[in-house]
Amino acid sequence: MSRGLCAYAITREHVLDLAGLPDPEVRLITHRGLGLVVADVDLAPYADLDTDPARAMDEPAEDDPLVVLARRHDAVVRAVFERQPVLPLRFGTVLRDPDAAARLLADHHELASRELDRVAGHREWGVRARHARPVKPDDTPPAGLSGTEYLARRRARLAATEHTKRRGSEAAEALHAALAGRATDTVPRPRRSPALLLDAAYLVPTAQEPAFHAEVERQCDVGEVIVDVTGPWPPYSFARLELPADGRAEAITHA
Amino acid sequence: MDGSSSSLADVLERVLDKGIVIVGDIAINVVDIELLTLRLRLFIASAQTAREMGMDWWTGDPFFSPHAANRGVEAAREPAGELEEQNSLLRGRITELEQMLGERDVAPVERGAQP
Repeated sequence: MSRGLCAYAITREHVLDLAGLPDPEVRLITHRGLGLVVADVDLAPYADLDTDPARAMDEPAEDDPLVVLARRHDAVVRAVFERQPVLPLRFGTVLRDPDAAARLLADHHELASRELDRVAGHREWGVRARHARPVKPDDTPPAGLSGTEYLARRRARLAATEHTKRRGSEAAEALHAALAGRATDTVPRPRRSPALLLDAAYLVPTAQEPAFHAEVERQCDVGEVIVDVTGPWPPYSFARLELPADGRAEAITHA
Repeated sequence: MDGSSSSLADVLERVLDKGIVIVGDIAINVVDIELLTLRLRLFIASAQTAREMGMDWWTGDPFFSPHAANRGVEAAREPAGELEEQNSLLRGRITELEQMLGERDVAPVERGAQP
């Protein structure tokens, strides 16, 4: 096994804008108004991957083979997403042949069409919020405090910490509620840091985007939380289907 | 607001862990991809656990929560009683089942012996 059909996304049948694609090999396999974005690829680089994903996420290196392939996947999905709604496929989806691709579209025509309608006219935005102030204050007591003074001081510090923490959480909740109100759908994302008060993805209609960003600004102005926004993304976090494929089971391992 | 940015970590998280999954034969099983995905899932799961633990470090830190130590002791005591109770219940069930098995004189069947 050396070559396979790498699949990137399900989209609507259209004429691919080849100029926008990072790879001229990318093409569309169509079936009744749907299209599967694919490319003939050499599978060896995929099969030889041995990157530790945790390390790749913590210490990203652009020249890592996994990163190169993941960037390429993202670039293809994005290029199509510029013009048409897409349902991104999980990285590393390799189909046996064009027939398999057409069968996939045929078997899941209704579901895929419905999901494309759902994400059409939307873009995904990632939002993270964290405390604007350190929650754990510097607590080195000055020398020469009496016992009572020390305890009073400690109590004040505890109250202040609790207050900061609560205000931050409330601000993050308010932010989420406001953003969710502008979004068609929202999913929490796995939080990469304990310090994050909010880490979620929002599926936002393009018409709502100015209002969505205005909500972010508004909450930033309050000053309790620092907000990071990423995007716009193709709806990666909202393509949550598992499509079972019928027929013979055939697991081809790398030779 | 720090502005819009699509960091590499964000790209990886989305591309490797999100998107439609095709299950079944028409997808070629590139073993290492499966492994990567699995490892990423484990990583994300453990990050999640870390967050959950991190989120309540307040309650576990005796400085910030002087009752934490006491709560720990109580918590340790209570489940022990519960466990004992469950244990005796389960023992009772096992005895019952053993008796039923004895009455019927059913020979233990090897798992997988039957098609």
